[in-house]
Amino acid sequence: MNFYLTYFLVAFGLFAFVGLFTMLGVYAERKVSAFIQNRLGPTETGKFGWLQVPADMLKMVQKEFIIPAAADKILFLLAPVIIFIGVYLGFAALPWSAGVIPADINIGLYYIFAIISIETLGILMAGWGSNNKYSILGAMRSAAQIISYEIPAGFALIAVVMIAQTLSLQEIAMQQGVLAAEKVKFLGIWDVSHVGGILSWNVFRAPHLLVAFVIYFIASLAESNRAPFDIPEAESELVAGFHTEFTGLQFALVFLAEYSMMYLVSMVGVILFLGAWNTPLPNIGPVALADWTTGTAWGIIWILLKALALVGVQIWIRWTLPRVRVDQLMNLCWKILTPLAFACMLISGVWRLWVM
Amino acid sequence: MNLAQILFYIMAFVTLGSALVVAISKNLVRSIFMFFVTLFGLAGLYVLAVADFVAVTQIVIYVGGILVLILFAFMLSGKQTLDAVAQQQNKFISLGNLYAFILAALFLVVMVNVVFKADVNALPWVKTAKETGNVIPVNQSGINNIGINLMTRYLLPFEAISILLMIALVGAAHLSRKEGNA
Repeated sequence: MNFYLTYFLVAFGLFAFVGLFTMLGVYAERKVSAFIQNRLGPTETGKFGWLQVPADMLKMVQKEFIIPAAADKILFLLAPVIIFIGVYLGFAALPWSAGVIPADINIGLYYIFAIISIETLGILMAGWGSNNKYSILGAMRSAAQIISYEIPAGFALIAVVMIAQTLSLQEIAMQQGVLAAEKVKFLGIWDVSHVGGILSWNVFRAPHLLVAFVIYFIASLAESNRAPFDIPEAESELVAGFHTEFTGLQFALVFLAEYSMMYLVSMVGVILFLGAWNTPLPNIGPVALADWTTGTAWGIIWILLKALALVGVQIWIRWTLPRVRVDQLMNLCWKILTPLAFACMLISGVWRLWVM
Repeated sequence: MNLAQILFYIMAFVTLGSALVVAISKNLVRSIFMFFVTLFGLAGLYVLAVADFVAVTQIVIYVGGILVLILFAFMLSGKQTLDAVAQQQNKFISLGNLYAFILAALFLVVMVNVVFKADVNALPWVKTAKETGNVIPVNQSGINNIGINLMTRYLLPFEAISILLMIALVGAAHLSRKEGNA
């Protein structure tokens, strides 16, 4: 029975982490946006405005729970839950460190890719259930965008999988450091199996994966509906897109899902391309930095730092780039990213056969 | 009854119940969303049958692709078309549905027959596979095997399917083209 208790504890821990991360993310978003726009951001509530997020949460809990009269009640009530659960389920397969993974399934990557697609369904549900033209327009845009961008993202992932030869995220992570069982070559020439560090990350094992990483990162921005791809909730045209009608806790759930999605896609990017929980410090002769900084606790620290850095880049991009138009969005996806991703996949095959 | 059996009955109940709601419900959108539950129950059944790859593929293709596209088609179609669908005499049991019922009943007879005749616990090909040791343990990754088999033994059907999909794609592109310019 203890066996099942652990499962519940792990699930609860992940949920707590998601909540904490969302609080941190909202605060960071406010402060970073303020910095970029030469403002101060929240300053009044608490020192440096750190109480702003708890204050926002308190406000959300107090808000009236409104269901529009013409809404499809079941769909409307279920939508935020499904949106959040779709993202939250993805966390089950993410490795945090060597041996620390909630569910070590051998098709982990494929599972995450599949489970994320539930979010689209939740968004469509929200759009239809709200019975509001802005909501449905936002939902349609979101679904079109997510479906389109799944293709370049998927091919970028396949490029990595062809190099790694496994779909298990823990194994992919293991290959990119000093713990690797097989030979790791930097750029396909220099054997760095015992040097480790940044040199053995996937983006340096095969340089074309750097391109694949950029493709994946752009596509992941679109999949999590972040600016510059936030036309589903373009506030200048659609009020707030698919979540226009949501109030209070339901809105909080949608918000939670958005931030969890940011973290999830960053985690997947880090695991596949940027060395997962492996240290960035290489062994330099007798100074075995990589060996010293590899371990369970170190792994969690490294992966957290890397994923948070990627989230930081997402926030930075959001407040720097303007929103793209629909046609620009589709052009970017189908005419630039998809062919490039195909090329990456092709190079991966050649690389695996002749270089590695 | 062990846990796996209990889970099987729960999944089977979810799948069948939601499928029934899909068929009966008058609200088209709710039917579509209920179909999502059916597909998920089916994926759960696949997992119980230790076919995790099939289960995930089911979710990728049906939930992530087909279901979203059905919803798309639904939301893009005009209100009058949808109203016409909703207005029609949609009693589940009526004389108009007689042919459908006969067809469904015949299918049921065939399926029940298959289940009883097959003797699933002692299928000959499963027995020979067990005797010759031609089996893959559950805890090993089955995807490598699926990949190799697709590229060697089942290459022709695989390619035939890809050609079929290609034809569908070309057809869709042709249908969506504006008339008159050609």
